[in-house]
Amino acid sequence: MRLRGLFLWDIRFQAKYGFYFLYAVLTVIYTIIILAVPENWREKTATVLIFSDPAAMGLFFMGAIILLEKSQHTPCAFAVSPVRPAEYIISKVGSLATVSFVVAAALALAADVTNLCIVLLGTVISSTIFTLLAIIIATNIISLNQFILWVVPVEILCFVPAILHLFQITPGWLRHYPLNVCMEMLAGFTPSIAGIFLVMVLIVFLFFLSKHCVVKMWNGMGGVKL
Amino acid sequence: MKAIRLSFFQMLQYMRRDMMLFVACFAPILAGLMFRYAIPFLEIVLTDLFNLPAIISPYYALIDIFFAMLSPVMFCFVSAMVSLEEVDENTAAYLFITPLGKTGYLAARFGVPAVIAFIITTILLPVFKLTSLSFVEIISLTIGGTLQGIIISLLIVTLSSNKLEGMAVTKLSTLMIFGAVIPFFIKHNIQYVLFLLPAFWIGKAISENTPFCVLLAFALSAIWIFFLLKQYLQKI
Repeated sequence: MRLRGLFLWDIRFQAKYGFYFLYAVLTVIYTIIILAVPENWREKTATVLIFSDPAAMGLFFMGAIILLEKSQHTPCAFAVSPVRPAEYIISKVGSLATVSFVVAAALALAADVTNLCIVLLGTVISSTIFTLLAIIIATNIISLNQFILWVVPVEILCFVPAILHLFQITPGWLRHYPLNVCMEMLAGFTPSIAGIFLVMVLIVFLFFLSKHCVVKMWNGMGGVKL
Repeated sequence: MKAIRLSFFQMLQYMRRDMMLFVACFAPILAGLMFRYAIPFLEIVLTDLFNLPAIISPYYALIDIFFAMLSPVMFCFVSAMVSLEEVDENTAAYLFITPLGKTGYLAARFGVPAVIAFIITTILLPVFKLTSLSFVEIISLTIGGTLQGIIISLLIVTLSSNKLEGMAVTKLSTLMIFGAVIPFFIKHNIQYVLFLLPAFWIGKAISENTPFCVLLAFALSAIWIFFLLKQYLQKI
């Protein structure tokens, strides 16, 4: 019940601050790009677009979301409410993954991808990883510029190997790198068991780390720059 | 003038706290090194891999356009973020009633960073360019890039009332830069759908070697800046 309330609150928050309008516009622009490129490039273009934007939207927005919550003193309320850090994280991950899912579905349909289910599952998994990473960063920063700076190395580590992997210019052993597994799924390929296992291990690790960071943030409220 | 200088240094101190100042100083050089050396290297690798005579090199001029826009957009974006934080914290309203005033505030937050970005780009573009640009072309691209940076920062502060909206507007407004891509890839008249974007005319000027289009880009930028400034001043 609490989780449902948090999830709906996050959805309302995102709608209020123009997320849905923004992604409606971006979906139209990306669809035009997909339809404008030659037919044999469409699937790869859609894969790169889905991976770098709807799936990674948490990496772009989470800093602003958490800083705005701080300036509205929301974490203070969470700290004394029955809401658990795990619920707070699941709600953030779930609400952003929902937007990612819808945008990715529209782009995948525009590109006429061969394996829609795998692509959408890959989008949700990628979105979960990116949002968890963003929560870890956002809970440890005090300004938006700082968030933008800390996200850059994370983006390099996540995007460069995955995009190189999509174009098959990475060594074989990097196939099991979790973000490369996600990219494979976004490209419509069924991942290996070992790859999926490593992705799950990474998600569990990031979840517990982000939980620790959220607890630290809630406990530290009052002494930070709001 | 003293108030503008002090306000600008206050912003620099704020940026220094976030390490943003350090990054803003070195990012154009790092990006320039990457553009100048990594892209031609990547071109060699890709042409070998796909057995094609050229893949990226026909678009080196486009990469030069992006490099000319990089520093201004980055500097103005950082200033816009500082300005949004000041609006969130209600300090901007207090600054307006000091000797700095609204005009001084605008000059310190957007004018001075734009001038610095212009100077830096004028120095770095001849060093890191991938095509043989003349002096006039370099200055034109730099002015176009600087005006683009001002437009993006004004869009951010005018259309958003907090950091989160600011990030959403940033995402949309930076897409304006990609107007420069269109004349390189779409030769059909449908390209004129984007005629309102200054970057589109800069791309057209370079891709089709029509210097007149740069003047159109400047005129369009002036109109954008005029209306955005008017809106921003009404908002604050």
